[in-house]
Amino acid sequence: MSAVGNPLVSRGRRARRRKLTGQIMEVLATAAALLAAAALAIVIITVAKRAAPALNVDFFTQNAAPFGGAGGGIENAIVGTLIITGIATAIALPAGVLLAIFNTEFAPRRLADLISLTLNVLAGVPTIVIGVFIFALVVVGRGQSAFAGSLGLSIVMLPLVARASEEVLRLVPSHLREGGMALGATRARTVITVILPTAIGGIVTATIVAVARAAGETAPLLFTTSIFVGTAVNTDPSQAMASIPMVIFSYSESPDPHAQQQAWAAALVLVAVVLVGSIAGRLLSLRTRRQIEQVR
Amino acid sequence: MTTETPTSHIPLSARRRWRLGDVLLQGIAGAAALGLAALMVLLVVEVVGQAHAALSEFGLGFLHTSVWNTVKDTYGALDLIFGTLVTAAVALLIAVPLAIAIGLFLSELAPRALRTPVGTMVELLAAIPSVVLGLWGILVLGPFLNEHVEPFMIAHLGFVPFLDGFPSPVGLLPACLILTLMVVPIVASISRELFTSVPGELKQGALALGATRWEMVRGVAMPQVSGGLVAAVMLGFGRAVGEAIAVTQVIGGSLTRPDSIYAPADTMASRLAAQYAGTATSLQKSSLAYLAVILLVISLLTNVAAQVIVRRIQRRLGHR
Amino acid sequence: MNVRRAGSIALALVAVAAASACGSSGGTTTVTKSQAGGGGDSKVLVGAGSTFVAPLVQQWEADYVKSPAAVTVTYGAIGSGGGVDQITARTVDFGASDAPLSADQAAACKGCIQIPWSLGAVAITYNVKGLQNKIHLTGPVIADMFMGKVTSWNDPEIAKLNPGVSLPDTHITPVYRSDGSGTSFAFTDWLTKVSPDWANNVGTSTQPPFPTGTGAEHSSGVVAAVQATDGAVTYVDLAYVQANDLQYALLQNAAGNYPEPGIKSVIAAAKVGTSNPDGSISLVNPPASAADAYPDATFTYVIVPQSSPKASTLKDFLKYAIGPTGQAFGPPLGYPKLPSSIVASDQQLIDKIGS
Repeated sequence: MSAVGNPLVSRGRRARRRKLTGQIMEVLATAAALLAAAALAIVIITVAKRAAPALNVDFFTQNAAPFGGAGGGIENAIVGTLIITGIATAIALPAGVLLAIFNTEFAPRRLADLISLTLNVLAGVPTIVIGVFIFALVVVGRGQSAFAGSLGLSIVMLPLVARASEEVLRLVPSHLREGGMALGATRARTVITVILPTAIGGIVTATIVAVARAAGETAPLLFTTSIFVGTAVNTDPSQAMASIPMVIFSYSESPDPHAQQQAWAAALVLVAVVLVGSIAGRLLSLRTRRQIEQVR
Repeated sequence: MTTETPTSHIPLSARRRWRLGDVLLQGIAGAAALGLAALMVLLVVEVVGQAHAALSEFGLGFLHTSVWNTVKDTYGALDLIFGTLVTAAVALLIAVPLAIAIGLFLSELAPRALRTPVGTMVELLAAIPSVVLGLWGILVLGPFLNEHVEPFMIAHLGFVPFLDGFPSPVGLLPACLILTLMVVPIVASISRELFTSVPGELKQGALALGATRWEMVRGVAMPQVSGGLVAAVMLGFGRAVGEAIAVTQVIGGSLTRPDSIYAPADTMASRLAAQYAGTATSLQKSSLAYLAVILLVISLLTNVAAQVIVRRIQRRLGHR
Repeated sequence: MNVRRAGSIALALVAVAAASACGSSGGTTTVTKSQAGGGGDSKVLVGAGSTFVAPLVQQWEADYVKSPAAVTVTYGAIGSGGGVDQITARTVDFGASDAPLSADQAAACKGCIQIPWSLGAVAITYNVKGLQNKIHLTGPVIADMFMGKVTSWNDPEIAKLNPGVSLPDTHITPVYRSDGSGTSFAFTDWLTKVSPDWANNVGTSTQPPFPTGTGAEHSSGVVAAVQATDGAVTYVDLAYVQANDLQYALLQNAAGNYPEPGIKSVIAAAKVGTSNPDGSISLVNPPASAADAYPDATFTYVIVPQSSPKASTLKDFLKYAIGPTGQAFGPPLGYPKLPSSIVASDQQLIDKIGS
């Protein structure tokens, strides 16, 4: 690995010290990596262990018990998160893909660079500021609604979907485009019938990863759909809806051990969604790349 | 990034065929791009609009006044800026060396079999929702620090200013550690990419000349990637400054400046999350929006600066 | 410039203009979807606010849906400040606050009626290893604790009030509400009246500028913070103290007695409450003539718009809440039943709600 066996390293005392320094650094780097892996393991195992007592059928099919009572579940929060992220995806996915198409098919290089820069900057805006923005834009005068929460989440998802879609679209080999044009098809037709289908795997991957990320966001929901945490299932997006991150946030501050257990269980659901989404995303992206390579 | 659109080598005469489908697609896609621009403008306009009353009442004095009094209806962000900078700085101080070491491990030192699993674990750390980290912070990390770590630190490090105080399960210390957990994966994955991008012949050359691997890293790889590392640290800083949820769960929302690292404190993002939903006066709400404006400015500056550095590096690499 | 590019740019501009016209805020004409305050389903009532009264409201929610009216009441316990915000913006049908509306808030609320629908004690709860339950404390001493002037539990001021009680030397950590809280209002209202030092340095507010200590959100948050910290003390609604089996202090009233916080002492305070011009009734620091009155009790109000699209549903629910069925849920949780004189005046206030 380091300088062992290298004939140009003399075997004097100084050389031994250099070798020792190198080995110490390698040990430290390994230790750092193991520390990070250990931190992840500690967090996930703690969540799983503390969630275990609260995981039962009731947890997924019932709503919260009244003040101080045991039992109950987070059914309304699960339904709420599904609806809110569903609407957010319906907004962010087409917008992101259109942006990616614009950047790869129509924009001159300077403009494409500017759009990429804007997307990266948007990705860096703190989600709490996005929450204030959506509050000012939609909630003031109208009231909280799941739809407002979805708008906030769609802003979080947009850069993820757009950047990843653009990457995949650029991977599509140019001879597919040329072929379409040579056959007399319009640019639009080529994009829709040839390029998008080739890139669809990557776009789906990007969406899965973005959804997994959005499902866990709390700050965009804090001022837009946060009022009702413990009560009945609501499926009307014009009203506020419970959501899993808000349930965790709200129960995490509770002194009641039952509420805390439910917070752990809800956290486990979120972590599971994120893990499954990330792993699925990785596997799919590997498969897509292989498929596109074959087309080349 | 490719250097031109994928169709630029097709002759102009072929490209200029006027078709309705093309116009429609270009129109809709262009609308998306314009929509993005409109979104950014709207974002700034609305947030600044919410802050308008506080901006005109306090002006820039808000940034160096240390008060938050709803009875006298006067507000200033200095204590919050202090909390934000301290938590971000401590988090970066711990996270950056760790993350660079991890990046090195994943790009150079790890046996190939370990690279994917460990790399995946580091990225998964980034994917854990902040509210889950905050939950773990309140119920596990905070009490652990309160019972075991802080008394130890006070007993043995208490002579250092700011490290002497009373143990508390909420405060600056758990917030710094949680932020560290969030910043490490960001900087580590960028470092890994940077170290991987150092041209192989440079690395091999140094090794052939008799350098140990560590000397190669220190003397050849690091200088190559230093610009990129600065960008990574900036992105990590932006993340640490902007985190509201996990921080507000563990920092103990204090209204005054902390006198030790164990004491409860508050950051701009955390105060915004805690108070914006129900304020006592409208000037208070506007002052909280002023905090959002400050956060927005910080994030815009750090992200644009990081992007500029990244572009410069990509251009440099592209010319090889 | 070629025709195609001009055409697509024009199309894009039209699309963006159309989209932004639909989505712009401040539009006063049409609110397309039915909102909580916008005359939607009358089988649903939406409210938000005080965490002080939340335990009681949750009992009402569970019971009222089973009644012949079959109305679903949804209540979000986000704090009194949040409740006032929401009802002012008419994003809920009713708000709940322990603090009466300030003059500014009443003006912003545009014709809101505040109706006392329950009352309770603000208890001082603490978590100190080695300290017995029900120690004696006075307002000025508590003010000193929350101002950081009394910093450990064996301070002479506390020892003076508790002769013979063993006091550990633990550091005092005051815990307070960081969100907009009616309980904070009731607590600081009492301290302002009994401690001139507090009146000068801090004052009364739903978000007082506490000079020291730890902040936490909502009644549940301050209780959790106290349970996690040895030496911590906070102020919270009695229902939370009872539900979590916490230690609490006995507070000295103006007569020099230390009444047990509960139904009897709160009712004694309610009998001598002072009415304010805005319709609210102040119960803190009852005069010495009320020998057994609890010194820091408070009414808690429901805030409703005088004209509401759900007027009849709202009136029925409020009559249920202040009536015998609703009030019966109170005592087991530590909320006394409303005095009959209050119930009578409440009926008149409720009748003012129209559409």
